[in-house]
Amino acid sequence: MKHILLAAMIAHSALSITPAMASGADNNLTVAFPRELESLDAYQNSSRGGVILARHIWDGLMYRDPASGKYVGNLATEWRWVDDKTLEFNLREGVKFHNGEAFNADDVVFTMNYIADPANAVKPQRNASWIAGAEKVDDFTVRILLKEPFPAAFEYLAGPVVIYPNEYFSEVGTEGMGTAPIGTGPYKVTGQKQGERIDLKRYADYHSDSPKGKASIEEITWRFIPETNTQFAELISGGVDWIWQVPADQAERFKTLGDFVVSNESTMRIGYIGFDASDRYGDTPFDDVRVRRAVAHAIDRQGIVDSLLKGASIVVNSACFPSQFGCEQDIPTYDFNPEKARELLTEAGYADGFETPFAAYRNRDYAEVMMANLSNVGITTSLNYLKYAALRDKVQNGEIPFQFMTWGSFSINDVSAITSNFFKGGKDDYARDPQIIEWLTEADSITDAARREELYSMALKRIAEQVYWLPLFSYNTNYIYGAGLEFTPTSDEIPRFFNASWK
Amino acid sequence: MTEQTINAPETGGPSWAAQLRQRIFGHLGLTIGGGILTLIVLCALLAGVIAPHDPYVQELTNRFASPVWMDGGGWDHILGTDHLGRDYLSRLLYGARISLLIGIVAALISGMIGTIMGVSAGYFGGKVDAVVMFLITVRLSMPVVLVALAVVALFGGSLFVVVTVLGLLLWDRFAVVMRSCTMQIRDLDYITSAKALGCSTPRILLTEIMPNVLNSLIVVVTLEMAHAIVLEAALSFLGLGVQPPLPSWGLMISEGKDMLLFEPWLITIPGVALFTLIFAINMLGDGIRDVTAPENRN
Amino acid sequence: MLHFFLKRLALAALVALTVSLISFSLLFLAGDPAIALAGEGATDADIHAIRTQYGFDRPVMEQYLFWLKNALAGDFGTSYYFKTPVINLIAEKMPTTMILGLSAISFAILLSIPLGVLAAVKPNSLFDRIALFISVIGQAIPSFWFGLILIVTFAVKLRWVPVSGSDSWQHFILPTIVLGYYATPAIMRLTRAGMLEVLRADYIRTARAKGIRPGKVLFKHALRNAVIPVVGLAAVQLGFMLGGSVIIESIFALNGAGFLAFESISRNDFPVVQALILIFSLIYVLLTLLADLLNAWLDPRIRVA
Repeated sequence: MKHILLAAMIAHSALSITPAMASGADNNLTVAFPRELESLDAYQNSSRGGVILARHIWDGLMYRDPASGKYVGNLATEWRWVDDKTLEFNLREGVKFHNGEAFNADDVVFTMNYIADPANAVKPQRNASWIAGAEKVDDFTVRILLKEPFPAAFEYLAGPVVIYPNEYFSEVGTEGMGTAPIGTGPYKVTGQKQGERIDLKRYADYHSDSPKGKASIEEITWRFIPETNTQFAELISGGVDWIWQVPADQAERFKTLGDFVVSNESTMRIGYIGFDASDRYGDTPFDDVRVRRAVAHAIDRQGIVDSLLKGASIVVNSACFPSQFGCEQDIPTYDFNPEKARELLTEAGYADGFETPFAAYRNRDYAEVMMANLSNVGITTSLNYLKYAALRDKVQNGEIPFQFMTWGSFSINDVSAITSNFFKGGKDDYARDPQIIEWLTEADSITDAARREELYSMALKRIAEQVYWLPLFSYNTNYIYGAGLEFTPTSDEIPRFFNASWK
Repeated sequence: MTEQTINAPETGGPSWAAQLRQRIFGHLGLTIGGGILTLIVLCALLAGVIAPHDPYVQELTNRFASPVWMDGGGWDHILGTDHLGRDYLSRLLYGARISLLIGIVAALISGMIGTIMGVSAGYFGGKVDAVVMFLITVRLSMPVVLVALAVVALFGGSLFVVVTVLGLLLWDRFAVVMRSCTMQIRDLDYITSAKALGCSTPRILLTEIMPNVLNSLIVVVTLEMAHAIVLEAALSFLGLGVQPPLPSWGLMISEGKDMLLFEPWLITIPGVALFTLIFAINMLGDGIRDVTAPENRN
Repeated sequence: MLHFFLKRLALAALVALTVSLISFSLLFLAGDPAIALAGEGATDADIHAIRTQYGFDRPVMEQYLFWLKNALAGDFGTSYYFKTPVINLIAEKMPTTMILGLSAISFAILLSIPLGVLAAVKPNSLFDRIALFISVIGQAIPSFWFGLILIVTFAVKLRWVPVSGSDSWQHFILPTIVLGYYATPAIMRLTRAGMLEVLRADYIRTARAKGIRPGKVLFKHALRNAVIPVVGLAAVQLGFMLGGSVIIESIFALNGAGFLAFESISRNDFPVVQALILIFSLIYVLLTLLADLLNAWLDPRIRVA
């Protein structure tokens, strides 16, 4: 009995893996995503997978070129600001939806008015909440009306705001769009098995002037595989050609297997520690700025980046992602210095440290390193590891004094997508600093770039100086795929399979 | 749950105690199970003394060090190090504490609930019995894993929550077994005579009934301990068990799972430990049943 | 018989009712469905509006009765996440779980009854030892661990079966083995014990004395009687399996009701969790009812009890 076990154990640990590669000879691609989609309807879907899929099925008026970062026309050819609340677009002619319906101004007007109506409850609301409506000027000219001046309008029009076919959608509604979506995009949906896979086929009549380019891959099978090990096993056995969001350790091992390309790209997601600085949770040591500074000095952010995140990750000091508009970098910073942390704690009256709950929802290993760092300076933490939905509810209810969380800014390259969410007095704001709220409220409602930059700079400096937040590091994503695949990852975490091809 | 038919061991010693001794040491399963379990309990108790390292100390520059029998392994970390560079052997030894603690406390809670319900149902019969039987059916029809997951997800995982939830969910077998055992003896002469002598009900239950159902109780305790330990491991595997940095074996498997294809020893080691513990507890339980089952008494 | 049936049926209904009340209070007391429902970026006013709209501000008992009224009409509400009727979601995912459960219990029965019979016919033989070994190992191997090891060995290394998914019958082989294995020890032990007891019984001795062929004695007379408790146990085990398929479905990416339950728990999608707990317990209750009836039919003595 013992011998059998031992033998099994040794045999098992000596297991060698030989990859069986998909050649791509049939010009098809199978990709794996961890989570199934609520719906294929782009406006009833807020998950990352849905955002990516939408870019394949539909087009927006504009497109942000991932290489240059510039906005170019897609379904629109030209645009101009009529005033600071009116945008006019000239539309591309000769574009057809997958079902043959011709694209024109009616589709744009219909889509804008549909998503702007709160009764239609598009998900997430922020994609549409800035739009007041749209009006047709002629068959290929439209005007989009904004509620307020909105600096990030292009970002949305080049991203999540995609154009629906008005006739088809009026006929089938959100349920029909969710099961048999029709767009103008480079791929059309040919079938799906709820929660398992979606079958995509290259759209032969895709408009040739699109900045997205002509797709090369003929068919894409979009699979949902929740278990990462199962994803790896499928990749190795050739059942899947492309996976992503692979943790650094496993990505390194894949490199040693050969036959796979492992590419790493930075993402806009950053990790942060939130403190209850304004007594929303109750009276905590974190009311004292010296304690918050002590935490900042106690945590070895560089060490975590070097040994756990690796890749393109960097330590982040300002409460935003460095590439975002307005992300001031000239701010007070805190180096890793446990000695100083202990001094600050002593000054604050916690010479013997203190105990606190600590919440997290992902990267338990990072959280554990932080806990060890904190215990090193006398702060004893008890981890409360929750599912995201549960933790977010608790955070927004003011039930969490101290937490490690992350924020992806919805890939919006503007600090309003992060700083304003956390420091403008909303449910996520644990600082409740009236000065910062005032600055951010102004910055979010004007289009004068210089003034915005100035206001965000002041807010970010104060956040860093007061350590209302401890920004930790940026995340990175590892993409792993067969060596035969030509694929370029982008920093907006939107894989573009329409630009991929087999060698 | 299942009644195993027993191959009665040879009997013939002069005294009952000697027979029992002979049965205990003559029973292979009991000896093996008891032996392994004693060893694991000793490891758990002496973890502070025998563990070569602090199980919580991280060494981020020495992550995934191989165990000694693999290429690149060394004697400093006999079973290697985990994803945070912590000594795997030390975590395994301390982990025995957590797993045993979960098993024992959950079995105590569920044993308390189940025994009270089962003994009252068996002793009083009638309406009490009907209510208890109904509760047992309700409990059995609740999908344990789902309910445990939902509760832990809502309240947040911690040793306390997990142990309490398991304790509150696993009492059914105690109730079923205690009820039938009590029923078998409640009408026996010595109980009826105790009643006739005017002994109070609590006194009868405690001094007459309990000692006579104790053997069966111990068997169920072993089964439910094993059950609780496996369930905790499963909850931890799904990310909803006890919280790190506590080194529970289930959590170790869950953490090692990420490297399953590349460093399978990370799950093999705690997996084998878990298997051995459950195996030992089950063997012990079966052994106790074989040795003490009333059918074996002459 | 009819009286027995009606009594059991009433009990089953009462059990299901109690389970639904317990899970309802648990889910809706501990979580705040309004926040989950409002989604990201909702204002306090939005949340308040939702709370009123869905009646979350009412007493739990009132909410429960409302839910119960709809549930009795087959309406389990709408999923917070998918925004579709819960009943449709479950109807879509249940078949996979059912296929898995039924194939697992068949696997368990096909493995354990022959082994149990052989072990009983020749106690302490090689078969008996193999049977004992399987049952001891089976009880002690954690299922998730077993599943992962099977994937690595048979899907990744040997490539005999697909790794995951549910497109073909091959996809169900590994999950069936892992799930079915856990019912094996109990069924085998019970078969063995039942056979041992029956084989000692007078009527078998009589049959043997009459010179009826041993095979016929074994299968026609002995097994038929020994199998009565096994039927009940198998039904109970199937109920447990369906409720416990969460882990297996997650490992093998089987898109069934168990995995839906796990995901819904992660997403605070309470209506789905509530409905699934109720449905799993209903299935269990019905299975045990079925087993009781079958037992009563096979063995009239039970009816008296």
